[in-house]
Amino acid sequence: MRRGVVARLAALGAALLLVGCALPPQTRELTDAPPTGVPVRTELASVPFFPQTAYHCGPAALATALGAAGFTAQPDELAPQVYLPSRQGSLQVEMLAGARRQGALAVRLPPTLRAVLEELAGGHPVVVLQNLGLSFAPGWHYAVVVGHDLEAGTLLLRSGTVERQVLSLATFENTWARGGHWAFVALPPGHLPVSATENEVAAATVALERSVAPAAARRAYDAALARWPGNLTLAIGAGNSRHAAGDLAGAAEVFEAASALHDSAPAWINLAAVRLEQGQAKAAEGAARRAVARAAGDAAWQAIADETLAKVLAAQPQPTSVRRRTR
Amino acid sequence: MVRTKRWLAMLLAASLSYAGAVHGAQSALVGTEQVAAAQGVVSADAQAVAERARVLELLDRPEVAAGLVERGLSAEQARERVAALTDAEVAQLAHTLDTAPAGADGVIGVIVFIFVLLLVTDILGLTKVYPFTRSVR
Repeated sequence: MRRGVVARLAALGAALLLVGCALPPQTRELTDAPPTGVPVRTELASVPFFPQTAYHCGPAALATALGAAGFTAQPDELAPQVYLPSRQGSLQVEMLAGARRQGALAVRLPPTLRAVLEELAGGHPVVVLQNLGLSFAPGWHYAVVVGHDLEAGTLLLRSGTVERQVLSLATFENTWARGGHWAFVALPPGHLPVSATENEVAAATVALERSVAPAAARRAYDAALARWPGNLTLAIGAGNSRHAAGDLAGAAEVFEAASALHDSAPAWINLAAVRLEQGQAKAAEGAARRAVARAAGDAAWQAIADETLAKVLAAQPQPTSVRRRTR
Repeated sequence: MVRTKRWLAMLLAASLSYAGAVHGAQSALVGTEQVAAAQGVVSADAQAVAERARVLELLDRPEVAAGLVERGLSAEQARERVAALTDAEVAQLAHTLDTAPAGADGVIGVIVFIFVLLLVTDILGLTKVYPFTRSVR
């Protein structure tokens, strides 16, 4: 009986050890086949360090990443923007919003170590969410990855109160996986992440437009549109930010190109609106009619396309009415 | 004289109608967020705009503002934080706050168990809770 218990405990221990010895999948892949195009080691030594105070790893990590992107912000200033006292922590969505409020483009990365290494090689420190506990007893923590060494199998982090934490890739991957492989970079508008997908960059740029001056939003849209010229959302943003900055000619040019490329209702609608503001009645009418034709049967755009055409027609010069009024 | 008056009236009418045309010659542009939602760049949520209005309305209530201050946050700060979020993010946030586990409850035994388990898994390199443990690898 006793022996049975001991044997079972031993088996459990062995199982635990086996789990411990097996490298997590991404680390194994990186170790077995070192990726091409990524340097063996990097260290972004100039990234600032803000030692965290109790539970304030969110503001500290954010200040670190923002500082590296050229935005000076102290954790104390960021705390009222991202810290939730009742939860003693910061929500992921607010970390992104907090970065944007300082003027940075905050882009989620693909959930791979390779993406992290690519950003490091591009000079971008990476904010990561780790679960330092276990899935059922979480210890959430934000840290900033500032370097790696594939030969030694380690990552370098600004983490908590440690300025240069050396963490094995395997341990990092385990803690990061339990945080949902969540990571983002904060960049000055006009710069793009190395690894992020078209969709994530577009979503991040659209969100940035809400928080920054039109000129900064325009820089971000232009950079993203240059990389993904076929993205309608980015084109609309490039036009809208120009319009918001008062650059009607620039906005018209962008919407003109987007309308020709996509033949999309919102592109025609915005082109019509800008042409109307420019006082180009004929061009506005042409665009509005294309918008109405394109939006027919599309619940999302039909009403606004009809309304745009009505406004364009109402603003047409009507010499007869002038004569009538003068009598 | 009559002729001049007539000219003046015509000029005035023309400029008035021109002013009217300029004033009226504005049509709303489609917002980028709206296009992003239609394109599937961000998750489309028909309730998102209403959700934002609801959250901001809540922040106007004195008892909510008082509760926020008690937790170290002013209503103004909360409003600015909501303003920095996209519609899709507001909807997500509302969901997160509703479902996130609140507070810590548990018996001592569970805490001790977790403490020991974490120490063991820390040593194995599965977790990193205790700075004094070093991974076996």
